[in-house]
Parts: sequence; C-alpha cells; structure tokens
Amino acid sequence: MTDTNLTYKKPRRRQDIAFPIVNAILLILLMFVTLYPVLNTVAISFNDGTDALRGGIGLWPRVWSFKSYESLLSDPATYQAAWISVSRTVITTILNLILTSMLAFTLSRKEYVLRHFLTTMMVLTMYVNAGLIPNYLLISKTLNLSKTYWVYIIPTMFSCFNMIVLRTYISGLPEALVESARIDGAGDFRIFWQIIFPLCKPVLATVALFVAVGSWNQWFDTHLYNAGKPYLHTLQYLLKMKLATTQASANAAKSTADAMTSTTQMTPITIRCAITVVSAVPILIVYPFLQRYFVTGMVLGSVKG
Amino acid sequence: MSQMVQAKPGKRGGIGGFFSKLWSQKQLMLMSVPIAIYVFVFNYAPMWGWITAFMKYNPKNKNLFDNPWVGWDNFKWLFNRQEWLGVLRNTLAMSLINLVFGTLSAILLAVLLNEVITKAFKRTVQTVTYLPHFLSLVIVVSMAQNIFASDGAVNQLLMRLHIIKEPVFWLGEGKYFWWLVGAINVWKEVGWNSIIYISTMTSIDPSLYEAASIDGAGRFQKIMHVTLPGIKSTFVVLLIMNIGHLLEAGFEIQYLMGQNLVIDWSQTIDVFVMKYGISKMQYSVGVAAGMFKSVVSILLLFLANFIAKKLDEDTLI
Amino acid sequence: MKKLLSVLLMLALVLALVPAAIAEEEPITVSVFVGNPREQPTPDNKIFKKIEDELGIKFEFEFLAGDLDETLAIKVAGEDYADLMDGGNSADTLINSGALINLMDYISEEKTPNIWTHIQPYLGRLLYDDGSLYIIPNFGRNYNAQIQNYCNGPAFWIQKQVLEWAGYPQVKTLNEYFDLIERFIAENPTNEDGNPYTGFEILCDDWRSFCLRNPVQHLVGRPNDGDVLVDINDNYRVEAFVIQPYAKPYYAKLNEEFHKGIINKDTFVQNYDQYIAKLSSGTVLGMFDQYWDFQSATDALVTAGMDKNTYIGLPLVYDPEYVDGKEIEEHYLNGAVINVNRGYGISVNCPYPERMVQMFETLLSDEWQTILEWGIEGEDYYVENGRFLRTDEQKKNSQSQPWKNANTAYALMDGLPKKQGTRDDGNAWEPGNQPELYFDLMSDYDKAFLAAYGYKVPADFFNPPIELAPYGEAWQIDYVNEPDVSIAETDFVTTQMKYLPEIIMCDPAELDGLWDEFVQAVEDIPISTFIDYMQEQVLKLVEKNSGN
Repeated sequence: MTDTNLTYKKPRRRQDIAFPIVNAILLILLMFVTLYPVLNTVAISFNDGTDALRGGIGLWPRVWSFKSYESLLSDPATYQAAWISVSRTVITTILNLILTSMLAFTLSRKEYVLRHFLTTMMVLTMYVNAGLIPNYLLISKTLNLSKTYWVYIIPTMFSCFNMIVLRTYISGLPEALVESARIDGAGDFRIFWQIIFPLCKPVLATVALFVAVGSWNQWFDTHLYNAGKPYLHTLQYLLKMKLATTQASANAAKSTADAMTSTTQMTPITIRCAITVVSAVPILIVYPFLQRYFVTGMVLGSVKG
Repeated sequence: MSQMVQAKPGKRGGIGGFFSKLWSQKQLMLMSVPIAIYVFVFNYAPMWGWITAFMKYNPKNKNLFDNPWVGWDNFKWLFNRQEWLGVLRNTLAMSLINLVFGTLSAILLAVLLNEVITKAFKRTVQTVTYLPHFLSLVIVVSMAQNIFASDGAVNQLLMRLHIIKEPVFWLGEGKYFWWLVGAINVWKEVGWNSIIYISTMTSIDPSLYEAASIDGAGRFQKIMHVTLPGIKSTFVVLLIMNIGHLLEAGFEIQYLMGQNLVIDWSQTIDVFVMKYGISKMQYSVGVAAGMFKSVVSILLLFLANFIAKKLDEDTLI
Repeated sequence: MKKLLSVLLMLALVLALVPAAIAEEEPITVSVFVGNPREQPTPDNKIFKKIEDELGIKFEFEFLAGDLDETLAIKVAGEDYADLMDGGNSADTLINSGALINLMDYISEEKTPNIWTHIQPYLGRLLYDDGSLYIIPNFGRNYNAQIQNYCNGPAFWIQKQVLEWAGYPQVKTLNEYFDLIERFIAENPTNEDGNPYTGFEILCDDWRSFCLRNPVQHLVGRPNDGDVLVDINDNYRVEAFVIQPYAKPYYAKLNEEFHKGIINKDTFVQNYDQYIAKLSSGTVLGMFDQYWDFQSATDALVTAGMDKNTYIGLPLVYDPEYVDGKEIEEHYLNGAVINVNRGYGISVNCPYPERMVQMFETLLSDEWQTILEWGIEGEDYYVENGRFLRTDEQKKNSQSQPWKNANTAYALMDGLPKKQGTRDDGNAWEPGNQPELYFDLMSDYDKAFLAAYGYKVPADFFNPPIELAPYGEAWQIDYVNEPDVSIAETDFVTTQMKYLPEIIMCDPAELDGLWDEFVQAVEDIPISTFIDYMQEQVLKLVEKNSGN
C-alpha cells in the first residue's frame, strides 16, 4: 500500500477497475451459496411428500404437489391466526420503536443524571434470566395476562439490545443538533420527537425489522399462555402445531396399530419447508420498504447544514 | 458545548444543585423512568426464582418455602459432573469462534456491499444473503449433514482438487465439530448480522469520503480511514455485548448435530441443562446453571467494558 | 306491593328452576389438555357434535406444541390444569404432583359397568398401594383375540428382494442374516440405477438410538424390556444386558461387518430424515428397528412401485456358537400390555368429576366405541355379510388430515379408554386391524412373496406372542420422580451411544480393550443406581400381580 502514496494515480485506476469486478464476483458467489439452500427449500415445499422422503431434490420439484400448502392454507383457522400475528407484530413494532428509541435518546444524553444507573440496569437484563417458572407465574398469575390478547403486546414492548443499537447511533449524531434546538428553547421531548427520531430512520428501520421478525416468529407465548384459546392462536403457533402433528402422525402407527399403507402425500419434510416459506413470505414482502432506509441511507450532511 | 456546566453533576455545589438539575431534566426522567419501572417488573421482579437454586425445588409445593434448602448442593452437583469442564470449554470455544468469524464476516460483507455502486445489485445481494436467517435450524443442519457426509459435496470437492485422498469423517470426529458449527452460523447469519453495520454506514458523512479522495486516498484507504472508523462505535459496543454473551453458544444447532459419538466436543451448557434439568425433575439445577451463567456473563461484561474505557473506546455502560 | 309480589314470585320461580336444570344435566364445556401435538377439530365436527347433542358435553382442547416436561412443570407450578389432563409419557408428573383425583371414588361394578369390565382384570397392576387409580389406561386392553397381522415392533428387517434372490430361505440367526446380505451384495453391488447397496444401517439419532442399544435382548430370546433384561427363570433378576459378556458377540459381529464394508460409518452420524431418505431410496438391505419407526419409508417405496425393496421382519437369535451351544427360542412378539398410567386423568380443578367418569363410561359402550373408531355406518364404513368394510373413498378420507379434523374425534381419542382386539361379532375394534382392510392394501408382490413361504400375513414369520410376564414390559416402569435413577439412565444411554459406534469401527485388535473400557464406563455411572431401582420395581409388580 505504501507505494500508492507515491504514484497513486495508476494503482488507483487499476483498483477502480479490478476491485468492483472482484467484489462483484465475490458477492455473486456468496449469493449462490446462500440462495441454493433457500431455493431447495422452496422446491421441496412444492414436492410430493412421500416422494420427498427419498431426498435428492435440487432446485426443481421432482413430483409437483400443492398438498402441503393446501393443508396449511385450506384451514380457516390459518386466517384468524394470521390476523392475530399481523396485528400483534404491527402493534408491538410501533410501541417498541417509540419506547425503545425514547429511552435510547435519554440514555444518550451525557448530562442526564440517571444515565449511568439506568443504562446498567437495562444492560443487565440481557444477561440475567429468572427462569421459565417465575416468569410464567408473573405474567399468568400476578398480571393475569394469560388467555388474553395483551400477553402478546405488554411483555414485548421494550428490548434492550435494540435500545443499545439506537443509543449508539444517536450518540454518533452531531451534538450541535441538540445544542441549537435547546438554544431555540426546545424541551427534551420535542428534541427527541422532532429532531432525533426522524434522523434515526435508517437504524429505526433496522430495529423495526428486528422487532417485527422477532414478534412474527414468536410461538412460545401462545404455547404458554393461550394454547387453550383457539381464537387467540398465532400463525407461528398454528404452523408449529401442524408440523408437530405431521411428525406425530408419521409415528402414529406406534399407538393405533394403523398398518394401512398411507399415501398421505404430506410428510414432515415437505410440511416443514412449506411452513418456512409461508412464514418467511410476509417478511420478504415488507422487507424492501425497510431496506430502502438502511441501504440507501440518508445524506446527513445536508440535514446538518 | 455550552452544556458543559450541566454535564458535570455536583459542580454547582451541594444537594440543592443536584435537585435543581433533576428538575431541569424532568422531561428526560418522564421519558425514561416509566420504562425503567416496566423493565423492573418484567425482568427483575421474577428474580425471586434465583433462590430456588439453593433449594430442592418442586413446582408442586405451592408455598415456596416448603421446598427444602440444600445450600450449594445444586452448584456442587453441576461442577462435580465429570463432563462439566468439557461442557464449559465447548461453550466458550464455540461462542468465541462464532464471535470472531460472525463479526468479521458481517463487517466484511457490509464493507463490500458499501463499495457496490449499482443500487439494484446492492439490494439484491443484501436481500439474498439475509434469506438463510429465516430457514429453521432443522433444515439448515439437515442440509449441512448432507453436504458434510462421507460422499457429500465437500468431500467430493476436496477429493477432486486432490487436497485429500479419502473422505474426511467430518460429522463423526469431534475435532471438526466446533468449526462446523461456526461455519453453519456464519453462513446462516452473515447477511442478517451485516444489516446493522450497513445501516450504521449510512450515518457516515459523505463529505469524509470526498475529503479522502481529495487527499488522494485509494479505495482501500477510504475503507480503512473512513468506513471502518465510521462503524467503530457500533462494533465496539456489540463486541462488549457479545463478550458478555460468551456462555451463550446456542442450543439447537448442537442438539441437532451433536450425535453422542462427538458428545465430548458438542455438548454446551444449554444442551447439558436441557438433558439434566427439568426433564429430570431437577428444576433447581437448571436455575443454578442459569445463575452461574448470569454471574459469569456480568463479570465478563464489566471486564470488557472496563478495558474499553481504559482504551478510550466507546463503552456499553 | 304488587311489584314486590311479582319480584318475589320471580325469585321463587328461579329458585325452583335452578335445581331442576342441574338435575337435567345442563350442557357443559370441558377443557382438555392433550400431551401430544394434534390439530384443532373444526367447529362443526360431526362426532363432537353428536357427543354434544347426546351427552351435553362440549370440548375445548389444548394440544402440546412445545416440550412436554416443561409444559407440565408450568401447569403444576401455576395449578393451571384443564378439566381432563392427558400428560402423555410424563403423566406420572401429574399424579405425583397431586393434580389428578382418585377415580376409584366414582368407579364401581354397579355405577360404571363398562369401565369396571375394562379395568377389572388389571386392577392388580393399575391400582396404587392405597387402592387409588388416577388414569384409566388408553391402550392395551384387548377384548377377545388380539389381532396380529404384522410385527409393529422390533425385528431385524431385510429387503424382500434379498430373500427372493436367495430362493425364500428361512433366516433364523444372526450369522445367517449377515451371511445372506454379504452374498447378495457380492453378487449385486449396485441396484438397477447403479447406486451401491448398503448392507446394514444403524439409526443412532437421539432417542431412536434404540436401534443400536436394544437388539441383544432379542437375540437371547426376550421381548422388548427397554434397556434392561429381566431373567424370568431366575427370580426376575434385572440386568443391563448391553454390558454382559453375551452382548459382546453382537457388537463384535457388527465390527466384522463394518470392516467388510457392509456397514457404513455415516450411519452413526446421520439424522432420522436422512435415514428415512436412505431407506426410501431402496438401497438399504437391512437394519434393526421397530416397524412404526420406518413406516414412512415403506410408504415411499410402495408409492414408487418398489415393492421388492420393502422390508420383512425377521426374529433373529444368536447362533449357538455365541451362547455356549444353546439353542435360543425367539420371543419378539409379546402379549398385549396394558398402558398403565397413560391417558386422561380428571384434574382437581374439574367441577364435574362424576359427570366425566360417566362420560368415559358412556363412551366405552359398544355403540360409542364403534362411532369413535369406525365412524357412522354408511358414511365412514359399510357392513357386508356382517363384516365392517370401507370403500376406496372412505379409505382415502380416513387418511386425510383435514377430513379427520371435521369428521372424527381423533383429537380426543388418544387419551380415552378404548376397546382393542376383536368385537363379539368378529370384526376388529380398530379399522387398522381389520384383516380385510389389511389384505386389500397388500400389493400383489407381497401376496406372492408370502405365498412363496406358505404364509398369509407378515406376522407368520414370528412365533405367536408369548404370555405377558407378570411385571408387564420393563420399559413401562417410570422413574420420573427419581432424579438419580433417571440421570443414571440418561448417562447409561449416552455412554452406550458414545462407545458402541467406536467399538464397531475400531481395529479388531483393539476391540477387547475398548469393550472393557466401555463396560467399566457403564459401571462407573454407577449403573447400579438404575438397575437396583428397576429390580425393586419389577419385584414389586410381580408380587402385586401374582396376587390375582
């Protein structure tokens, strides 16, 4: 590298041509390596279940079958569950973004007297876990949230990891923004809401993605608190149950002595893949809208001026 | 920097100064204290559960104190198991591998993507690489087992390239296990983990790149002197955070891939606890293991934070 | 005044009506926890509607999605019990936590004749020392003859084409079995597509590793007792058979086959899906397994028209040379074993225990059992010359999950006490056991294959079931509440699964040393914790059952 300083023009040009090509090749290779298993999963999900047991399916189904999707999507309960999942994801994401960024803002203020105490308190929550039973008793007995929709919202309104991500980002913003607003007489809340919050769009999009994906993929809370209330089942819980049922009925002969050769055309392998696709598609649809913010980015310089 | 006066608590003298300062920060407090109370209720209140680590707890006893006290017996049981040290070693090794390669690969991908000028290509790569995050580990491990089988793609490739003469028993020899787990983790999460760095890079002031260009910096120099410093604080904060998580090497992947043949290399604390905790009615052993993990994590966390502070880097706390 | 009077009148009316309504069995909704994953029945499910119409009972189901032990621990901690609780294989946790009521308070010959007939022959095994009963067993109660069309349990399996190739020989011993596989492979190293055959697979995935751990007890002529062998001729002495000298020849034989290339080392690291895939490809010639464990592979082979690659179970025993010249008689098939403490219990939270027991009683009647097992006559099955049969359409329906959700009570069935075996009219209680339905589905290849042996059903390869030992089957013995015992058992399994593959793959010269090391490791657990407990329980059961 040292010689580039002396005759930088030449190597720079070589870099400018060679680097993008090497870079593109690298990234295309990486895409291939990551895309193949994904497409393979999609292919298996469209394959006949019994046939898929034999393995060896590549990028295209060997024996086409929509049975797996049929069994997932023909159940009216799927739509009720999808509605619960979508609504909880949206509400949780919005609440979480507001609360998390608000706290992140206060903890990024170096002058805030409770800053050190609160930061420590929040950070430690990532490392301490009281265990399943005390948590269950708190939510189910003390707060009486089981068998309600609220159990999807209330316990998930805040996340420390995301708070730290946001705080780090906010700390990196030019201090002058806050200074000048304060001189203009703005209170902390107004500074946060009108100046900082809009500036955090790229990282808010990231955090929104983390929260939404986390909330969308959650099935355990349904299992713990709402399993007995079918109208409160979430999509992930339902899918998890379908997979488990398929797996169990593959072994059902164990108990029912059901020797009849079954051509169910649905097996845990295909169901699992179809479930993966069904649960990932909504996220893939939303993704480009969020991606716009963090891939393209914002031109901070102009805001600063 | 007019804030300087305010930024040094107590400088204005005495308790009165402190309270007037509190009053001046009432909005900040309004924005944070309710969340703190929320966090206290949901994260700290259930911590009474930790005292069951010193009991022989059985959930059927409705009065907590009907459970007999056993002192440190649960911890002793854990630490006296002959495989405990191995379990600890596996946990640390796999999370270290994951930490180093997971972080490096995510940053590398973010940097490479940042260098891409064609927007559509950039978006495509970014979308495609984060997809595996949504595959369940059952599927991923199953594929890995096929790829690393004796007649799998990896062995075939290595043999065709004449690197090895006969198939390597990747899945059956313990010494490979940690690295396989590392490779699977990196592959599955590289795209996902890079998102945070990509979004951080958007906050880098473009004028810095312009200035660097004017100074005659090449592409690599711009990466070294502008891009990487731009994500440094995120990197440091995540690093400290992850050092605190060193005892969390995961559970599912080891559970799915770790046949007993390689158990001396595959078993992590979480797998161990699953095997000998609730399923053996040893509720308290599970709590004791969790408590041990928490305490060690917090020590590691403070140590990492302390070192960062000494090095004058960003800190977590 | 008038107003007051009318209010009083109203009050009197209401008071008079309320007890009447209770006496009339007002409709109730019963919450049910099922310790297995199941799909919710549709709201207009025809069988549940019938139950609601006739018994006034509606069900609200909760099925298991996560880990059973964890879920039960939480329910116990929060006392969040459904009215009916099926704790699956960890039901003992519920009993030991006082979650269930004693059913004997509601069961008697007069009040509940069906239940009484159902459990009376097994009371010795079912009742606790204090005479209490918490769960009416869900399976294993046979009426009349037990129907055995095929072996659903453990056996050494071999592809039918291998036997066909060899001219349908009788294969009885371990050596004959491996010799046949070796000869077949020598002559046919690959299948029609050029893919190499694998001689013998050993599934080692998680709990399914019984495929490696269990065979020896059968080779010495015992049915399935799980991890232990009970010597019924020696005061029911219990031992860990896998570390006994008579176990070594089996693993030495596998070592020999490994070095001959009959066993591939990938078998020790593959997961269940890969195992099924390999079996389904038709290139695996043999394995030790239980039929239900690989049934899906059979389905795949049949669907692909590869009937000759499907398997037949063989009840192998040791050759005399391995056991001091003794001739061993095989006993793979055991008498039906009542599923003690598995099924529904009534929880302490249930407000109508009496009514629940009455419901079990009603549903155990012949009419309801027919409805629950077979469905509605004319819709789900038809009767011809007194035989219960199904049309192709009906057969197809009974395999379709969405159809089952809407038209069967399968969601409730698992934990319910039910009749098995043969009805008084000669039909099977369960459609799956009805011989006609079984034959109907048998392929021409299979029929010809069996005919070549002069057999009618695959079970003819086996000796008829022996009489069940008084202790039942030892794998049923529960140690949920004995952490030390269950830890020892887990360590026992882990140690086997760590050493046995190594023993099979090692240099034959090192085998003796490695074997000794293995035996030592098992003894160091100490395995006596587990064995002593099993011994105690077996003797207790024997004593209880020789009483009646």
